Amino acid sequence: MSGTLGIIVDITLNSLVLGGVFLIVAIGLNIIYGLSRIMNMAHGALYAVGAYIGFSLVASGLNFFAALLIAPLIVGVIGLIIERTIIAPMRKRSMAYTLILTYGLMFFLDGSIKYIWGNKPRFIELPEFMQGTLPILGTDYPVFRLVTLLLIILIMGALMLFLNKTKIGIILRASSTIPEMVSCLGVNMSYVHMGAFVLGCVMAGLAGIIAGPLTTIDPLMGGEMLISSFVVIVIGGLGSLRGAVIAALLVGGVQTLAEFFITDLAMVIVYILMAVILAFMPRGLLGEGKFE
Amino acid sequence: MRGLLCTQNLCCQFGGVMATNDVCFSVDHNGLTSIIGPNGAGKTTFINIVTGKIGASSGKVLFKEKDITNTPTHELVKQGICRTFQINSLFENLSVFENLRIARQAKVGGSFRIFSLKQKLKPVIKDTWAMLERLGLEKMADLPAKNLAYGDQRVLEVAIAMAGDPKILFLDEPTAGMSPSETHQIAELIRDLANDISVVLVEHDMDMVMRISDRITVLQDGCIISEGTPQEIRNDQEVKEAYLGKAA
Amino acid sequence: MNRMTTIPGIRSGFHPIHIVFIIILLSGLVAFPFVSGNRFYISLITEMMIYGLLAMSLDVLLGYTGLLSFMHNAYLGISAYVVGLFLIHVSPASFWLACLAGIAFTCVVALPVGWVQVRTGGLAFALLTLAFGMMFHTIVWKWYDVTGGDDGLMGMPNPDINLFGITIGNSGDPLVIYMFTLVIVTLCFFITRRIINSPFGAVLEAIRENESRAAFIGINVRKYKLLGWMLACLLAGIAGALFILYKGYIGPSTMSAFAGAGVLMMVLLGGMGSLWGPLAGAVFFIYIQDYISTMTEHWEIYLGLVVIFLVLFLPTGFAGLTDHIRRLRKE
Repeated sequence: MSGTLGIIVDITLNSLVLGGVFLIVAIGLNIIYGLSRIMNMAHGALYAVGAYIGFSLVASGLNFFAALLIAPLIVGVIGLIIERTIIAPMRKRSMAYTLILTYGLMFFLDGSIKYIWGNKPRFIELPEFMQGTLPILGTDYPVFRLVTLLLIILIMGALMLFLNKTKIGIILRASSTIPEMVSCLGVNMSYVHMGAFVLGCVMAGLAGIIAGPLTTIDPLMGGEMLISSFVVIVIGGLGSLRGAVIAALLVGGVQTLAEFFITDLAMVIVYILMAVILAFMPRGLLGEGKFE
Repeated sequence: MRGLLCTQNLCCQFGGVMATNDVCFSVDHNGLTSIIGPNGAGKTTFINIVTGKIGASSGKVLFKEKDITNTPTHELVKQGICRTFQINSLFENLSVFENLRIARQAKVGGSFRIFSLKQKLKPVIKDTWAMLERLGLEKMADLPAKNLAYGDQRVLEVAIAMAGDPKILFLDEPTAGMSPSETHQIAELIRDLANDISVVLVEHDMDMVMRISDRITVLQDGCIISEGTPQEIRNDQEVKEAYLGKAA
Repeated sequence: MNRMTTIPGIRSGFHPIHIVFIIILLSGLVAFPFVSGNRFYISLITEMMIYGLLAMSLDVLLGYTGLLSFMHNAYLGISAYVVGLFLIHVSPASFWLACLAGIAFTCVVALPVGWVQVRTGGLAFALLTLAFGMMFHTIVWKWYDVTGGDDGLMGMPNPDINLFGITIGNSGDPLVIYMFTLVIVTLCFFITRRIINSPFGAVLEAIRENESRAAFIGINVRKYKLLGWMLACLLAGIAGALFILYKGYIGPSTMSAFAGAGVLMMVLLGGMGSLWGPLAGAVFFIYIQDYISTMTEHWEIYLGLVVIFLVLFLPTGFAGLTDHIRRLRKE
């Protein structure tokens, strides 16, 4: 048995892992919202689709890391099809319509998951070296969770580089503040919106396959993640990327702690946290729309 | 000199930019004050702060010698501070009549009556008809606001603000995009209003500003660079520079 | 002058044709159980009326105030659970007291939730309705000792319905509940319609049309949004009390996000901002749901597809369709 220090290390690392998964999903949601003012209600379902595709790929004998690359790309393609067929024609309508539209899409995707993979929980088979535990400061911590944490840091680093250093990234960031100007410079906004949506979907799929080994994969996972990522982006400030980072770690931490102490109703504590923050800061911690 | 409304060292900061910088401005109980200045001088920002749309970073706004800095918009309107917008901001799917009626109702009261019918608020209905007739909109009373011609929408934009019986009315480029004859009509309406209440006009049409203003305030980069009668402003060297550059 | 007191474009009462239609519909509904006596249809129509009331309450929010609630069914659920718990644990015979407790408790819960929601913007409002709705769903689902968890709340006694000391009937009798629901839903429809046409309703519409301008004509937008929210939750609470009396049972699935999407779809089907539209939408939706769910277990896929189709091709619903037909006839 691990001592008090072990428990603290456990909780800290678990908070970071959980917060990290929230972060990747929420950032994807925020990228779409920040660039095209569309709140994608099907985001959680796409996250679940990523996890299920990852499961199928690994189950068919593919290496876990290869699946880690391929699954998000497949989700990205699904996102591309969705964007071109039903989202792009709706851009000029009021936001309520796209909210309801993507909400319908969520049920369609969730239903399709049940249709294809059934209701029973699935597990992603991990490579052998990730199955053990590693002793850290008085606790035996699962290796795959450490790998997950590493992956999350890598993904966030890559995203930061992409948004800050590449041409496409800079166009995206500029579009979030002054779309008129960017379109005057000869950039087709329709492609920017499409790119943002696909990027967001890839992030959702990535989070799905990363989170797959952490939790069981079941049809409810998408809905639960959707709510958690809403809590994160509302606390952080809609569309604010930095706010999402802070809020994701906060929510991850509070939820891990709450689960440690009261298990079943842990989410209720998170909602109460959210309500308290919003009561004092209605626009979230960092205010709305800070895309940086 | 303290009139109806004045600001003391009003500042507003966006990031590192001072959109409004140490502005001390005052207006009397009636008369027409125009605010002019090059694009980006902070005219609209100034109105936004005074009417409660955005918060001030520092400084004060006094109305009837009472501090009203950062008071919520709807309370400012109740006290008699109304405004119009540069870009039409109407209740688009409601009829022209209802646009004015609801504005009147918000002023006169009765919004809490949940079981009576809105057409039974007789004083509100009467005032609304009177306003529509004064502005020549009565034939269009039945149309949804979004179906009006642009010029009429501009008139409605001003009318909605007037329905609140303002003591001070801020007009943000009321003639933007209007034809010369429509501009003339609005100018007369504004001049007429300014006899009873205080009107603050932000405008780009210099002919109109010089013709109808009692006083003019010139803003540049968030600071007041000049104040005076139209005649004084016309001859002010600094104002010329602000508009035409140093070489002029 | 007479004209000084009229409002153009607004009919103050019902059109004669509508009055005839309403009278025929209501007498048909009153006569139906005596003519048919088919238990299945009696209870199906009861359910349609209850969900019609819920859809109508969501329309007050969505169609008149411009606020989107993804999980309005949560407030129906809260009320239903409290009515059930009251009858089981507090007083098995106090019919009116139980209903009052359920509706009052719903309002007590809705007030702080609404207060937080209206402080944020319109989009955050919608996301928060989902988050709070899921919270209530989680609570009733996981709090086994009180709510019965997954199994739902069972063993509710059926009190007699008394009015002014006269016993009308027992709430366990489907026919009694049918009539009771008919009366309550009809009353709620006319009262809500009256509120919508009141000066208060006009304020809600102004907020829907242009929130920022509404503030600039002196309307306290947050306050009226909260009042609109409370009105919608009050009506949902009434629907909840009717729901548990009719079913005699409630489970967490009634409060799920899936059920919430159903209510949203009733409003969309019927058309926002018409009150009668969502009622019709509910009738249609309950009928189709009953029909399809016996044929396929993948109802979720179809629900999703129908929502997508509606938003893309028929955003104004039934009510919009009749407007469209009326306009075509004029031309």
